[in-house]
Amino acid sequence: MTSIPQDLVASTGIPQEYKADMELASKYASLGPRYTSYPTAPQFRRDFPMDDYRNWQGCDGDHKRDPLSLYIHLPFCHDICYYCACNKVVTRRKGVAQQYLGRLQQEIVQQSRLVGDQRPITQMHWGGGTPTYLDHAQITELMHMLASHFRLLDKGYREYSIEIDPRTIESDTVALLKGVGFNRISLGIQDFDPLVQKAVNRIQPYHSVAPLVDCIRSHGFRSLSFDLIYGLPHQDRFTMAETLRKVISLRPDRIACYNYAHLPERFSSQRSIDRLTLPQPEEKLLLHEIISHTLQDAGYLHIGMDHYVLPEDELAMAQVEGRLQRNFQGYSLHMADDLLGLGVSAISQMGDFYLQNERDLASYYELVDGGSLPTTRGCRVSVDDKLRRHVIMSLISDLKLDISECSQQFGIDFNQMFQDELIQLQPLEEDGLLTISKGKISVNKRGRPFLRNICMPFDAYLGAHSGDDPPPKFSATV
Amino acid sequence: MTIHLTETGDNPVSMQCTHDFRVNCGNCRLNGICLPLALESDDIQQLDDIIQRSKPLQKNQHLYRESDGFESVYAVRSGTLKAYKTTDDGREQVTGFYFPGEILGMDGISNNIHASSAKALETSAICEIPFSSLEKLSTLMPNLQRHFFQLMSREITEDQQLITLLSKNSADERVAALMLSISTRNARRKLSATQFRLPMSRVDIGNYLGLTVETVSRVFSRMQKMEVLRVDNKEIEILDIESLRSMANMGSP
Repeated sequence: MTSIPQDLVASTGIPQEYKADMELASKYASLGPRYTSYPTAPQFRRDFPMDDYRNWQGCDGDHKRDPLSLYIHLPFCHDICYYCACNKVVTRRKGVAQQYLGRLQQEIVQQSRLVGDQRPITQMHWGGGTPTYLDHAQITELMHMLASHFRLLDKGYREYSIEIDPRTIESDTVALLKGVGFNRISLGIQDFDPLVQKAVNRIQPYHSVAPLVDCIRSHGFRSLSFDLIYGLPHQDRFTMAETLRKVISLRPDRIACYNYAHLPERFSSQRSIDRLTLPQPEEKLLLHEIISHTLQDAGYLHIGMDHYVLPEDELAMAQVEGRLQRNFQGYSLHMADDLLGLGVSAISQMGDFYLQNERDLASYYELVDGGSLPTTRGCRVSVDDKLRRHVIMSLISDLKLDISECSQQFGIDFNQMFQDELIQLQPLEEDGLLTISKGKISVNKRGRPFLRNICMPFDAYLGAHSGDDPPPKFSATV
Repeated sequence: MTIHLTETGDNPVSMQCTHDFRVNCGNCRLNGICLPLALESDDIQQLDDIIQRSKPLQKNQHLYRESDGFESVYAVRSGTLKAYKTTDDGREQVTGFYFPGEILGMDGISNNIHASSAKALETSAICEIPFSSLEKLSTLMPNLQRHFFQLMSREITEDQQLITLLSKNSADERVAALMLSISTRNARRKLSATQFRLPMSRVDIGNYLGLTVETVSRVFSRMQKMEVLRVDNKEIEILDIESLRSMANMGSP
């Protein structure tokens, strides 16, 4: 562990190499989407062609047999974490989880009828909220429901993952999760500093997380992932260096860092955060550089969008082989083209459609109780969308775009069609973020922190919002 | 579901272990383990109606086999079963032992197919709880299904904890852990925690623990010499449970 920038901790001076990166970062700091889909969720509308979607599901074809990925949204939390911008319900009222499971069961039955129960489920993810809000019996029950209506796999290559709030589980929960079929775990760490934890109302000391990590390893989970957040109250270069030291000592296989976007007017829970305790913009840029340098010095690879993995992790190999994908859960192996989201607010990507379930819990219950599918928004992906999606997702996942292949695949002259976009990319090329040649765009190592900026010229909706909700305020790109 | 029945098999009804398949939930001595306390006697009758009790399995008969569809879970009423998987090269790998009051078959829950086979190690009486009927009944008795998922999750958790324990420890630790596990499970169903008869062979024990038969026997002799256990073929007496615990590296309960 030679990774801690000692000189940084020792003095308040900022190392030269960080400075150059920070200047670049401040130059490219703007607001933009995270591209977990294209078109992005704000472009979804209530009046999307649901009948066309049903017709497509009604036809036979490969989409009735090909692998499928499942996402299950479990919205409840015992306590509120002040930074949170997820769709969640904070409650300790007894019985809420059981009521939700009842509705989920009805949705599962309906979706299984529509989508079919023959598609092998190669990937599954339970997210939230807090999935471990469910007690042991409920976890078992939900897995049983899913297994009864979809074709779950027991093959070693399956990727069944669950997000864990370290405060909610004991070693026997880890054993149960293993026993019902999960093989990957992701832990919401956020930050190890006690003052930061207190300020965001999420207290989970290092000395309680470390044994949990041991326990997860001893139960043979194939992959462990940590989530970290930078830009939280009271974070500074010293606390971040210490948090990273602890993180690296636990050696998770994957680390995803998220930029905290303080939007108290949109997310009421964030109103509990005192704006004056947030790191200043310059300090926040420094935090970003400390994370990037420290993790890479410790042997992690930056695969893009602030996601870091150990070189022996499957994601690292997959990126080299072009088998990486980006969807609503971030980066993953590309094992299935379609993703079915279940539960309140969950988003599906099925064939040429994006679909989103009702976001309000009471309305979701009403729809399910009335016997209908709870899908309320969506969009059909147009030919132009598909082309742009290919460009954006290739750049984000593979860090390159084969222009000739793209021209051939979509029957276009790329260089002519994207003339303006390529001109917009020129200043980024001059800054060394990417290299454009006639046949290829490749993202340079320097450009990996700025993938969103590199993709934004190709996003046709940034200047032409088409969703029926007001256009969103995006989070900062850096 | 594959309960293989022998029509001509004897039906040894003993005083301690009832293999009588006419027994019902109301008078089963294991109902404290199996049933929700809150069930009214009418409810018990309804539950009793969905539970299928066949003639006991004879030694070496299968309850279900690997890749059978998952339709029911099974409660052991008497006797012992072992669960095993067949490895790619055709060998048998024992994955668990099940004693009275314990529920097996949950390995089918995550993909709706049994991931292992279950075979009787001695004459064993089984209650079959079909899941589809349980689901129907649960609309009338919401607590019931929940209770079964609770039972199942406990069994899944304990299985995994034992597997984890056994996967990383020394021969002494593994044998000690298994003896302690059997002792604890006996105590749960109000049998002696210190004196019991092993229903499985040394071969099965070795296979389960990933040890050779010779090693299992050597560990037993050593424990006998240290006066931790008294071993007389299959009869076991735990003489010093604290030493056994420290051998298993599990500390005090």
